[in-house]
Amino acid sequence: MDKVRTPKNIFVQGAISPEKIATSIANHSTKTEIGGHSIFLGQVRADQKEKGEVVAIEYTAYEEMALQKAFEIREAVFAKYPLTCMHIYHSFGEVKVGEICLFVFTSSKHRKAAIEACSELVERIKAELPVWGKEILDSEEHVWKKNS
Amino acid sequence: MAEKLIIKAFGMVAEEIGQSEIWLDSVSNTQELLAILKERYPGLEGMKFSLAVDKELVSENQKIDGAREVALLPPFSGG
Repeated sequence: MDKVRTPKNIFVQGAISPEKIATSIANHSTKTEIGGHSIFLGQVRADQKEKGEVVAIEYTAYEEMALQKAFEIREAVFAKYPLTCMHIYHSFGEVKVGEICLFVFTSSKHRKAAIEACSELVERIKAELPVWGKEILDSEEHVWKKNS
Repeated sequence: MAEKLIIKAFGMVAEEIGQSEIWLDSVSNTQELLAILKERYPGLEGMKFSLAVDKELVSENQKIDGAREVALLPPFSGG
């Protein structure tokens, strides 16, 4: 039976912990129709900027619009690929360098759908969600993150 | 009487205007809104940002009669 899906909160305060990721993987052991998972983890990079080195990113969002948009993307990707499961988590607030700020997790019977859906989700999340990263520098200055 | 419109600013746009919310009396369309904002905050002139009327992105001039909120959205940089 098809489940009726509604917008879910994708935002997590601060960094996404490796324990949360491990638990999320473990939670799929009962879904025995799954044959492949694909996971993307975004990590805050210590970029060298003109006025210093990045030590953290502070994320803000237009939350209501971001959740609505994430829901639309989720529905579109579910419609396009034969997926069993899809999970999206994005950090909110401060995440230090080396910590995880984005966790996208797709599962399917066979690997190809999971891999392609995961990649498409990451691209769409970065391009379409009204989320902004403020890169905090070691000089206490900041610059606004630009997505390439 | 027309209801007030809330303008929500984000990222570098919020930083430029020094606040994240502005209340305005009714404005008829997005072109008029931009003119008002740029007059009040000249720093917005050279900035790149999009508008969303009631959470829907707009690409050209659009009526905002009856809308509840307009957001000023600099280029997205999530992930």
